[in-house]
Amino acid sequence: MKSGLDSKTFDKLSVIAGGTMNPSVQNWKNNGGKVIGYTCSFVPEELFIAAGLLPFRIRGKGSKNADLAGDYFVPASTCSFVLNCFNQVLLGEYSFIDGAVIGGGCDANRHILENWQHSSVKTPFLQRIFFPHASNEATALYFLKDLAILKAQLEEHFAVQITDEKLWDAIKLCNETRDLQRRLYALRQVDSPPISGSETIAVIVAGSSMPKAEYNADLKTLLAELRGAPVKDNKYLARLMIVGSGHDETSICDIVEGLGGLVVADLTCFGGKVIFGSVKENGPDPLQAIADYQVLDRPFCPKNLDAHPHLNKEIFDKIRDYKVDGVIGQTFRCCETWGGELYVLKKEFQETGISMLKIEREYIPDSLGQLRTRVQAFIEILTGGAS
Amino acid sequence: MSSVFDQLLAEVQAVQVELLIDAQNASKKRPYIMCNSNLMCEIPVAFDCTFSHLTMTGATGTALPNAGELIDKGIELGVSSSMCNAIKVACYYLEAGLLTVPDMIITTNSCCDSMDTLGKLMNGYKPWAHIPRIQLDAPHHRDEEAFVYFGKQLRQAVTLMEDIAGRKMDWNRMNEVCVESNKQRQLQLEFQEMKRAVPCPAEPDLARLGSEYTNWIVERVSPKATDWLERLVSATEPRVKAKQGIDGVTEKVRYLWQDLAGSWPEGAVRQRLQKELGAVGVMDYVQFATWTPIDLSSEENMFTSFAKRFLLEDPMNRQALHDVQFYCDDILHIVKDFKCDAVIMAAHVGHHDVNSKLKIVKDMCRDNGIPCLVVGMDIWDKRVVPPDVVYEKIKTFFEITGLI
Repeated sequence: MKSGLDSKTFDKLSVIAGGTMNPSVQNWKNNGGKVIGYTCSFVPEELFIAAGLLPFRIRGKGSKNADLAGDYFVPASTCSFVLNCFNQVLLGEYSFIDGAVIGGGCDANRHILENWQHSSVKTPFLQRIFFPHASNEATALYFLKDLAILKAQLEEHFAVQITDEKLWDAIKLCNETRDLQRRLYALRQVDSPPISGSETIAVIVAGSSMPKAEYNADLKTLLAELRGAPVKDNKYLARLMIVGSGHDETSICDIVEGLGGLVVADLTCFGGKVIFGSVKENGPDPLQAIADYQVLDRPFCPKNLDAHPHLNKEIFDKIRDYKVDGVIGQTFRCCETWGGELYVLKKEFQETGISMLKIEREYIPDSLGQLRTRVQAFIEILTGGAS
Repeated sequence: MSSVFDQLLAEVQAVQVELLIDAQNASKKRPYIMCNSNLMCEIPVAFDCTFSHLTMTGATGTALPNAGELIDKGIELGVSSSMCNAIKVACYYLEAGLLTVPDMIITTNSCCDSMDTLGKLMNGYKPWAHIPRIQLDAPHHRDEEAFVYFGKQLRQAVTLMEDIAGRKMDWNRMNEVCVESNKQRQLQLEFQEMKRAVPCPAEPDLARLGSEYTNWIVERVSPKATDWLERLVSATEPRVKAKQGIDGVTEKVRYLWQDLAGSWPEGAVRQRLQKELGAVGVMDYVQFATWTPIDLSSEENMFTSFAKRFLLEDPMNRQALHDVQFYCDDILHIVKDFKCDAVIMAAHVGHHDVNSKLKIVKDMCRDNGIPCLVVGMDIWDKRVVPPDVVYEKIKTFFEITGLI
């Protein structure tokens, strides 16, 4: 990713987003801190923070291939994001973590747990948490029960007590993160945003790869720098939004922005879905507040049968607020859940005159030339051939 | 095959055709409920409504003479290239407006990503936006709490059905249906028990067809289906005593086909393996019965039983919803109880959950001295890996493992 930002803070966050182990995590470890990995945006970081752990979202960044993971999964019919994430685990890229919690979302993702347990990578604490596939009070209550189990498992394994007070503090800290991230996104609503799509994704990804308090401080600095910077005279051909599955690296944004487009918004598993809303900061039970937030307030996982109306509203709101000219729907091959969601969305876009380019790809982008041609053609359609 | 089995096969094949026309027969006299999954069939039967399981409708489409064309139409929709082809056909039926408009839609996440996606398309299908619906969260847990949780959701679905139909469930009728269902499941278990015999006394696939008869077709949970199962058991019993195998088959190998039979492998591969090599597929995903009786002691217990059946005992939900250890334990039990010489993992391209377990299964088989072959195929579309290739692969596997 090439960045036009002259900011040491951004440079730091970009480096963190670009790899796995990083100086901030190293520092945490040097001070005796423990790190817990997790695989999905619905695994609540608040619980780990309240346990005194550093949550680190497992990504595939840096993966060159998924050869090792291909022994565990059938590569031809498994999501390549899952494959590359697990391959990084097998390569020892996550040897610094002290445990991991696997999100029980789609079929391939949830079985990372057993494959990890079966592998030679010995991680002392491995658990899984399932998310409901419908959003209502009963499902939120069921998820609350699972959260309570996970809380007890964390307490026992790490010999800590997760008190309500610690949970409320963690909720406030994570709410602050989401609030700052939303402010960063809001900067892209203007005609000439001070930060590109690639740069934004890097900043957001860094948020799940370092201590939250340090991240929040860095993000405040970066926001101040961006607000104080002279207005850029950005020349771009079209304002685009990316919707779809795990987007922990910037390759699609890089292609779009390298061809004269500007990614101004997204709703992806590492971006817009993560920064949505806030957990209630008061009430009788902080765990209940987390469960309600995950199940009732942001039912954005396309595996959720109720998700579509919520996703639809969020996407159309963003299209309006960020003055989006066209949408790129990107999904990894073998991701049926996003495939279905994008199919339904595409029909709704057609009805409302919004153009969408659907890209089904591998995690490590192949056929880059072909991809560039398709994106270029899409931008040309949006601009009436101006590019 | 004896004439009794011929007759049973002909009867079940005849009623299978009704699966296709079930939805078309949906008369406005009875509410028509459509689901993306196999909702407990006792409920719609007791409520006297027409019910269709759209995944099954799609799967049946892949057995039609124009299956390739239907699958291609599904592919052209562009939902997801890797999605199960049975679901692609179901999506095509939906999007092309070929389905009778239901009065109620029930979707669940069970049991795989593709079926979940079909539910998403049903919920997102604009011409049906006005239709009342309910989404059921099928948990991946298999404890009593999970059964109670899902049972309550099934009860809510019944309440919605009552609201739509403007009449109440007749609980006496529900009781009758459950008694009939319990009888049928017991007969299925009896037939399964007899398949332990060496040689296998009857076409093992009759178990799958019996399961389909009782679950998925118009005559589901009917006395007619019970009669079919009773005749199946009666015809098989003397053969076990006489140590008589399948007519015309000299049994040499017994194997577990650890997947669905699909629309073409039974005829084009499994029957051929049986006839030419004496290799009998004594068990598969749908044949495997673990049924427990529906508890009729109270309405709540009844729904908890339904939930248990759905989450834990329903074919495919059992294999796809839960953890790998549970899946492996089933394989080991089947191999031991049914004296299987080998495990064939079809590794259907659309079964992402199975395809996420293969190393564990292979290692488990190796540790237990069970020869295991992973094929890699599309059980609904024989154009992907042709039947001859699949047959030769399995034949070679039997040869190199010394089984034939």
